[in-house]
Amino acid sequence: MTPFIYKQGSSILHNLDTRYKFVIMCLISMGILKALFPALAIISIVLIAAMLSVGIKPLNSFNHIKYFLILLIFIFISRALTTPGEPLFSVFEVPVSNSGIKDGALVSIRFLIIMLLGMIFSHTTKPSSIKSAAEWFLKPIPFIPEKRASLMIGLSIRFLPLIIEQAKQVSDAQKARCSDNQKNPVRKIARLILPILKKTFQTADNLALAMESRCFSEDRTDPEFNKSGYEIISLILTILLVLILILF
Amino acid sequence: MKNLIQVKKLTHIYSDNNYGIKDITFSVQSGEFIILAGKNGSGKTTLLRHLNGLLSATSGEILISNNPIEKNIVEIKKKIGMVFQDADSQIVGETVFDEVAFGPENLKWERKLINKKVESTLKLLGLTQLADRNPATLSGGEKRKLAIAGVLVMEPDVILFDEPFSNLDYPAASNLLSLITKLNKNGITIIIATHDIEKVIAKATRMIIMDDGHIKQDGVPDQLIKITEQYGIREPCSSKLNLGIINWAN
Ligand SMILES: Nc1ncnc2c1ncn2[C@@H]1O[C@H](COP(=O)(O)OP(=O)(O)O)[C@@H](O)[C@H]1O
Ligand SMILES: [Mg+2]
Repeated sequence: MTPFIYKQGSSILHNLDTRYKFVIMCLISMGILKALFPALAIISIVLIAAMLSVGIKPLNSFNHIKYFLILLIFIFISRALTTPGEPLFSVFEVPVSNSGIKDGALVSIRFLIIMLLGMIFSHTTKPSSIKSAAEWFLKPIPFIPEKRASLMIGLSIRFLPLIIEQAKQVSDAQKARCSDNQKNPVRKIARLILPILKKTFQTADNLALAMESRCFSEDRTDPEFNKSGYEIISLILTILLVLILILF
Repeated sequence: MKNLIQVKKLTHIYSDNNYGIKDITFSVQSGEFIILAGKNGSGKTTLLRHLNGLLSATSGEILISNNPIEKNIVEIKKKIGMVFQDADSQIVGETVFDEVAFGPENLKWERKLINKKVESTLKLLGLTQLADRNPATLSGGEKRKLAIAGVLVMEPDVILFDEPFSNLDYPAASNLLSLITKLNKNGITIIIATHDIEKVIAKATRMIIMDDGHIKQDGVPDQLIKITEQYGIREPCSSKLNLGIINWAN
């Protein structure tokens, strides 16, 4: 199972009020974007400790983000090649500078750490509480119907896998009838898209009926948030951490 | 017994001039267990959707406890719950618990009351262990139970089932049937639409046979069982072998 999917647990991070978790994640992300190498080392240690405490195996998790790591390597290379500065050595006549390597490493490590942060967040937070928290944050913003927005978030979380599953079924059914023989990719996609769209609209229709049959209304009970009691202290520690990140 | 539902001369014509149902008249008493039998396309789903207030009639009317159904549609949907044929597309919540809470949230119940009712409903249906699970990961039988929980939590008087046994294996079907029987014993009126009567017929108190949008027969299952095949409904094996009606669940 990928560590990006919510897994039940009883760690402090699991029980923390999702709204605070949101804020904490945003603060740390902003800190990371300003952090330099020593600060990045500190935050890495903190995050690895957090991963262990919520039951993610750090080494194992790298296995799930290996494609992302390739992207990071690309970012690193392109930064290294394009940042101006004193040339250190050159690759195919393109000079690579000391500051380019440093800059590339900095950017890719920051990305990586933000990725890990997101992983910890989604591993410890129920999709439904992410939805509720989004609703809570949207509430004071005028002209945004927060209940509708949160319903839409909820339905996407719920129905995306179903739609992907249906798409796979359609594609398999066509493969079983030798759709692989069709070489023209445009035709191939057109043949795939129409049945998938049809199925998706059908699903949406059924869903609308099912919701209506259960008295659907936008004027619904507000979501519930459970406090664990560690919210304030977590927030204070986060602010301290972010200050360290920025100042080092 | 009192008339819970009265349907009078109900006709529904779909937009492309397709008749869904024609001139349907019948009434339902509180506590009945009705099979609505008929082959595919006979109008069962259309009729159920009317009873749940999802479609409005081309002509005719429906009275619920002597009031026209349009009068208080939200109240009707709460009183008359519907379990759809395709469990996958009727489950709205991201977890089992949220799914059951969906209806009560729409009714704007207090959060405390919602939590209490959801917990007791999950317990009644044996789903407590699954409360935090993603509904997509449940088995077919569990999904069907969850769909029932989502309706049951609103304390309905009637539950309508559209082909509840489709895609269920034998143990799941028999389990579901015991559950439906238990709900009926607790006073909930049951109407099951199905083309496959074998599984439910032992429990039903009444059978209505539909064909081509009309009600063709309405009576006690024992008396209708021998003539079902002329309406394209398979007669249960046991009855064919003159063994009478065999119980699918205890
Ligand atoms: N959305 C629709 N649009 C047009 N015709 C429909 C629609 N739904 C059902 N029908 C038609 O109404 C008739 C009854 O269908 P339905 O109530 O689904 O029957 P059943 O549930 O018994 O299989 C069928 O002839 C069907 O083709
Ligand atoms: Mg049907």
